Amino acid sequence: MAFRKTTSPTAREDMISGYLFIAPALIVLTLFVFWPIVQIIWLSFHEWSVITPEKPWVGLENYRNLTKTRDFPIALRNTVWLSVGVVPIQTLIGLFLAVIANQKIRGRGFFRMAFYFPSISSTVVISVIFLWMYQQNGLINFILRKVGLPTPMPPWMSNPNGVIAMALKPLGVDHLNPWLAGPSVALLSIMMMIIWTSVGGTMVIFLAGLQGLSQDVYEAAALDGATATQQFWQITVPLLKPIIFFVVTLGLIGTFQVFDQIFVMSQGAPAKTTLTLGYLVYQEGFTNFAMGYASAIAIALFLIILAIYFVQRSVLRTDQ
Amino acid sequence: MTRSSISRRSLVASTAAGAAAISVAGRVAGQDASPIASPASPEAAFAMSRVAERASGEIRFVTFDNDEAQKTVNEMIGMFNGHYPNITVKFEPVAADYLTKIQTDIAAGNAGDVFYVQNEYAQDFMSRDVLLAIDDYVAEDGIDTGVYFDPLITAYTWQDKLYGLPKDWSPLGAVYDPDVLTSAGVESFPTDWDGLRDTLQKVKDSTGNVGLALDPNFDRFIMFLYQAGGNILNDDATEIILDSDATSQALDYMYGLYTDGLISPSADLGAQWPGDAFAQGLAPIVFEGNWMFPFLQLNAPDKTYEVAELPAGPAGKGTPAFTNSYSIFAGSKNPDAAWVFVNYMTSFEAQKFANTSGLAIPARKDLEDMYLELFPLRKPYLDSGAYATAVLYGPGGQKFAGDANAALQSLWAGQIDTEACKQEMVDAANTDINI
Repeated sequence: MAFRKTTSPTAREDMISGYLFIAPALIVLTLFVFWPIVQIIWLSFHEWSVITPEKPWVGLENYRNLTKTRDFPIALRNTVWLSVGVVPIQTLIGLFLAVIANQKIRGRGFFRMAFYFPSISSTVVISVIFLWMYQQNGLINFILRKVGLPTPMPPWMSNPNGVIAMALKPLGVDHLNPWLAGPSVALLSIMMMIIWTSVGGTMVIFLAGLQGLSQDVYEAAALDGATATQQFWQITVPLLKPIIFFVVTLGLIGTFQVFDQIFVMSQGAPAKTTLTLGYLVYQEGFTNFAMGYASAIAIALFLIILAIYFVQRSVLRTDQ
Repeated sequence: MTRSSISRRSLVASTAAGAAAISVAGRVAGQDASPIASPASPEAAFAMSRVAERASGEIRFVTFDNDEAQKTVNEMIGMFNGHYPNITVKFEPVAADYLTKIQTDIAAGNAGDVFYVQNEYAQDFMSRDVLLAIDDYVAEDGIDTGVYFDPLITAYTWQDKLYGLPKDWSPLGAVYDPDVLTSAGVESFPTDWDGLRDTLQKVKDSTGNVGLALDPNFDRFIMFLYQAGGNILNDDATEIILDSDATSQALDYMYGLYTDGLISPSADLGAQWPGDAFAQGLAPIVFEGNWMFPFLQLNAPDKTYEVAELPAGPAGKGTPAFTNSYSIFAGSKNPDAAWVFVNYMTSFEAQKFANTSGLAIPARKDLEDMYLELFPLRKPYLDSGAYATAVLYGPGGQKFAGDANAALQSLWAGQIDTEACKQEMVDAANTDINI
C-alpha cells in the first residue's frame, strides 16, 4: 500500500474542516500543555531564579543535583510510601464498595452518592476539615479515647516518627534505615484522608465495569454451584482486570502528583516527612527561587511515573 | 518562616489567626480603634515630597492586605490623594499566595510599582536587584531614616543601599497570665534564662502542666540564639556564623526545657499556634508577636494578660524583629510617583492613621507615645526595639529556614540529638545561603 498525497478537492476540504474542528482544543492544549512541557524541559537545563530574566545554561547540573541534594531522595521516599499505602487500599475498598453498591439493596442510590461525594468535593475543604479532626483534641483522638485506644503523641499531623519504626521499637529494633522506617504518622494521616476521598471515585469506575459484565456468566456459575465468594474471585476479578489496570494506573499517577493536601495541611512538615515530589517542585520553584531545579524534578517525576506505568503494565497485562 | 507557616495553617483553621498572623497591620473588627487620627485632620507637621513636583500618573500598589486592612489602606490612599492629586494609586490586594504572585509578576516584568516585602524574603529580592534602591530619593526628600527603629532599616539594607521603608513591625515578647503565675508563687516575670526555668518549674509544680507553649521552629529558636550571642550571618552579611558555641548553648537550653516537660509545642497541647494555646488557657505563657493581641481580642476577649520582655540569655537581651516594607519595583515605569507614595505611606501622618488599630507596632519611633497611650500594656514590645535584631537569613534563607525547622522537628521527635541537630542546621546554612 503506497501513500499518495491526497489532492482531490473534497479530501482537502475534509482536511481543512477537520483541523478547524479540532483547532479550539489544539490551540488551548498547545498553549497550556504542550508549550509548558517544552518550556519545562528547556528550563531544566538552565538556572532561573524566577525573578530575574537571566537563565544561564547549566547543562545537566540540575539533574545531578537530584541525587546530591537531600530533599529529592526524601520526597521520593515519602511519595513511594504514599503510593504503596494508598493505591492497593483504595483499589480494594473501591472494588468492595462497588460490588456492594451493585447489589439490589434498598437505598442503593443514596449509598452510591454518599460514597462518591468526597471525590467531587474540594480537596482544600476536605484537607482543612481533616486538619481539625487530626488535632490533639480533635474528633479522631476523641473517638480513640472514647473506645480506650491510645492516641499518638505528638498528635497526628505533627508526628514525624515512622510507623514501622514505631511498631518495631518495642521489639528492640532501633535506628531503622529511613526507607524502612515507613511513612511518618503525619504522612499516614494524609494517606488515610486521601483513601477516604478517593474510594468513591474508584467505586464509580468499578461500578461501571461491573455493569458491563454479562449476567449469563454468573447464572452459569451459580448453576454449577459456585458460591458468591468463588464467583467474585473466579469471575468478577478476572473480568474486571482491564478496569483494575485502569484504576491502579490512575491511582499511581494521582499519588505521585499529590500536592494540594500537602500544601494545605503540612507544607512538608514535620521534619520533611510529608514532603512529596509534587510539593517539592512547588517549593523549589516558588519559595527557593530555583525554577530550573524544580523543572528537573518535574521531569524526573514524569520519568518515574512513566517507568512505573510500564512495570505495572507488564504485571497486569491483559490478554487483549 | 514560622510567621508565614503558622499563618497559613491558622488562616485555614481560623480566619482571625490568619488575619493576625499574616498581615501585621490593619484594622480588626471590634478593635478599640481610637479617633486620634482621622483623614479629615492632617498633621500640621506634614512635609510634602520634593520629588512630587515632577511626579504624576498612575502607580500600582500590590499588597497582601486582608479585607479589614484594605479598608485602612483605601482610606490612606484617599488621604494621599488629598496631598498629591496628580498621582493615581491603583490598589491591588492579593488574596492568597502573595509571594508566588509577586515573584511571577516580577518575572513577567509586570509587578506593582510599590509592594510589600517581608523581611524574610528581603535579601532574596535585594540581592537579585529586583527592588529599586531609594537612597537618592531619601536624600532628596530629606527623610531621616533614624526615625525608624534600627533593625527595620537594617532589614532592607543590602550592600549599603536601602531598598524599602518599613510599614510596621513586631518583635517577640512574653505574654502571660498573671493569675497563674501568682498562684504558682512567681512574683515577677523572670528576666533571665535561669529565672525562666524556675518559673516554668513552679508553674508545672502548681498546675501540673507546661508553662510555655513554644513550637520547634527556627524563627522561635532564633530568640534563644540571639540571647546566647549567636546569629546566622555576621553583621554585614558576609559570613555564616551559625557554627558557634552560642548555637549549642541556645539549642541545649531550649531542648532542655522541652525534655524536662517545661515547654510544649502548641499542637501537642491541642492548639493551632501558641497564641491559640494561650487564648484557650492551655499554656499561661507564650513568646509571640504583637499579632497576639487582635487574636486575643477576638477569641478570648475576657482573658487577663500582662506583657514582658523576653528573658535575657548569657549574652544579654535579644529578640527577633519581623517587619514588612514598602518597596519599589526596579522595573517600575513611574519610580518618582512610586517614591512619593512610599514616602507618604511611611510618613508620620499615614503611620499614625494606620497604627491606631494595634494590629502592628508603628515603625516610627516618633509614634511611640501614641502607641503607648493606646496600648500601655504593650510597652515591653516597644522597649525591645532598642535591641531587637532583624531576622535575616541571607539569600536562600527560606530554604535554610525550612531545613533548620526540619532539623528541630527531628530533634523534638527524638530522632537525633542536639549535636546532630546543630550539625544539620550548620550544613543547611552552608549549602542553602548564598553569600
